[in-house]
Amino acid sequence: MASLAANSVLVSVQNLHKHYGDVAALRGISFDILQGEVFGLLGPNGAGKTTTIEIIEGLRQPDSGSVRVCGLDPAQQSMALKERIGAQLQSTVLPDKMRVDEALHLFASFYKHSASVHLLLQQFGLADKRHTFFENLSGGQKQRLALALALVNDPELVLLDEPTVGLDPQLRREIYSLIEHFRGERRTVLLTTHYIEEAERLCDRVAIMDRGQLVALGTPRELIARSSHGTRLEVHLAKPVGLDRLKRVEGVIDCQETDGAYSLHAQPPAATMAALIRFLQSDDNALLDLHIAQPSLEDVFVEMTGRRMEH
Amino acid sequence: MPTLRIALLTIRLVMRTKLALFFTFIFPLVFLFVYAVLIARGQPDVVAYMFGPVVTLNIMGSSFWGLGRQSVTQREQGSLRRYRLAPIGPGAMLLSNLLANYLLELPTVGLLLFAALVFFHMPMKIGWGTLLVLVTVGTFAFAGFGLTISSVANTMQEAQIYNNLVWFTLLFLSGVTFPLPMLPRWIQRLAMFFPSTYLVSAFQGVMAHADPLRDHAPEMLALVTSGVFGLLFAMKLFRWEKEERISTTAKLWSGVFVLPFLVMGLWMNTRVNPTAMWARSYNVIGQASAPSPSPEAGKANLIEDFDGVQASEELLSRWRVSTDSDVSGHSMAEISLLTPGAEGTRHAMRLQGHLTPGPKNAQGYVSARCEIRVPADSRGLRGFEFEVRGEPRVCQVGLQPPKAAASSIPAISFVPGETWQDVRLPIAWLANPAKNGLADGPWVLEISVTGPPGQFALDLDEIRFY
Repeated sequence: MASLAANSVLVSVQNLHKHYGDVAALRGISFDILQGEVFGLLGPNGAGKTTTIEIIEGLRQPDSGSVRVCGLDPAQQSMALKERIGAQLQSTVLPDKMRVDEALHLFASFYKHSASVHLLLQQFGLADKRHTFFENLSGGQKQRLALALALVNDPELVLLDEPTVGLDPQLRREIYSLIEHFRGERRTVLLTTHYIEEAERLCDRVAIMDRGQLVALGTPRELIARSSHGTRLEVHLAKPVGLDRLKRVEGVIDCQETDGAYSLHAQPPAATMAALIRFLQSDDNALLDLHIAQPSLEDVFVEMTGRRMEH
Repeated sequence: MPTLRIALLTIRLVMRTKLALFFTFIFPLVFLFVYAVLIARGQPDVVAYMFGPVVTLNIMGSSFWGLGRQSVTQREQGSLRRYRLAPIGPGAMLLSNLLANYLLELPTVGLLLFAALVFFHMPMKIGWGTLLVLVTVGTFAFAGFGLTISSVANTMQEAQIYNNLVWFTLLFLSGVTFPLPMLPRWIQRLAMFFPSTYLVSAFQGVMAHADPLRDHAPEMLALVTSGVFGLLFAMKLFRWEKEERISTTAKLWSGVFVLPFLVMGLWMNTRVNPTAMWARSYNVIGQASAPSPSPEAGKANLIEDFDGVQASEELLSRWRVSTDSDVSGHSMAEISLLTPGAEGTRHAMRLQGHLTPGPKNAQGYVSARCEIRVPADSRGLRGFEFEVRGEPRVCQVGLQPPKAAASSIPAISFVPGETWQDVRLPIAWLANPAKNGLADGPWVLEISVTGPPGQFALDLDEIRFY
């Protein structure tokens, strides 16, 4: 891996626009990715994440705006750039009768500098599947092979487009471990996802996208701290109570009711809990159950866009 | 080298797929046995004649249904996307497919050749190098077809339609399944526009008559040119993603791919007319299937072998020369005795001179004619034939029946080569001339040479009924 100075900008995206016919896929997005960080593009389907990553990979041309990746222009210096980046597609398809090690050796041979296929097989848990045909691999094994293929040239920048989409929770956790391993290697990673948990767990910084625009950018902690929703109290009560009365409780910013459970956004949480108990005693009601939840990126997304993220 | 690596892996993938193995190696052998047993009836010379169509069929099949489909399938399945992320371009992908197709073609032709030599004792009249050149040029030309179709087809269904359209046209109208001399004249003219016609006729000329490859240089050039056009088009129109659609304008542009064949077809139709060459190759079937004539029978059917002629002057008692002087031309011709004749005979006749067309004509004209009589018993005869060689100018041979009212027999055109060739003129009436009232009077055999101004020479020998 070639080294750049710590915190130097590896990817710079400025005012990117892209249309598909009449549909605006990107409407002026800008962000930088720093050397060594795991950067996430979070957003629902159709937000423009894949278009963005494909422009960075040099597979698509923007209508306007500028992109620099590893100091190169992806549109003009595509071949040089491909030597320095590794990419994993949303779904990787290889010929059915291609063996795992053949695929790795073949793709490694395309690059001037390549990683050890033996080490990649070990690292991605594919050593005992090295002679297996692609058609006989499970979904998780195919995804691990796709990730290994993204690393065959020992890239400076790894681009992962929805790496866990369609995988069950167990396989998803396996992929998370591998991406955390990348972070351990101080490898720069750009990851697109529509899973909140994935972005919160894996990314150093997250850009939240919606309808071709960047609606928020920062570390998950910063974004959550910026949220005005505050801590959420989820309570079950002995008797129903009107939402308008609950909203009048000291510290409650907002509240919703779903199947008899009440979700209260509280600030500050401790004082709000004390006020809530006093309110229930005066109302001859009782608290059956209480959960305290911190605000999430989902809350940030709802706050920014006015709607929930569709999974 | 990415191209070679992808090609070698592609071959390995084919070897792992039973269906692909069957269609690559076994299916062509099935065709060879069908052609050799049912059509050639195991006769070695006819098997040599049929070998070309079998190889052409195989080359066409692997290009249309192998190479052409492969590119579309890779694009539709999405496997090209993975390659797109690597530092390789469309050229490497296309060349690797082309190379894999070629490297698979060679052992297939080797198997066909082995089977033809071992099981049918096919005479091998040419060197391995000549065969390799023919297979290479043919594979390259039809790869151009396959790649062009895969480039312009947006979906597999579309590719199937284009493939079927071209496949069946070439299959039935270019000598691959039915020998062209069997087909009507207008189909023969149409066939001159098809590439498979040239590959088949080159194979047949080379395999059945040991023609030197240079005799088929224009056809080879047209095949190579179209292969280059196809490759360039495929590179220009290459698409990695199935979502990328090709515009109608680009599809129309790809029609330029057929330009070399259009030019070739026009040139062949107007200037060369290879029908005599096809007929010469096709004669192999008739000669092989007919019983060997006895020496007496051969003598009885002989019209002229010039062996009894002592001097050139004697020829003038039987042959008459005419020129284009009646249309203001100044062409000149003379006939002379030539020693030795064709295939070891003593003499042959030479017609030579200079073509000088008149001011209103682009082409000069000379002819030599003589009267002949049909043998008393002409049952079983199908036409007449002669040995010919000379400069590559368009010549015609015709036979005028004794009755002016009778329908004339169509003349055939031919272009002589440097070596002696057999030319045949089939005559349906010959089987029963008495019935047609044609047995008594003399017939007039006329051989003519036409063309632009310049010298010419034409040697004739062994004129006989067959």
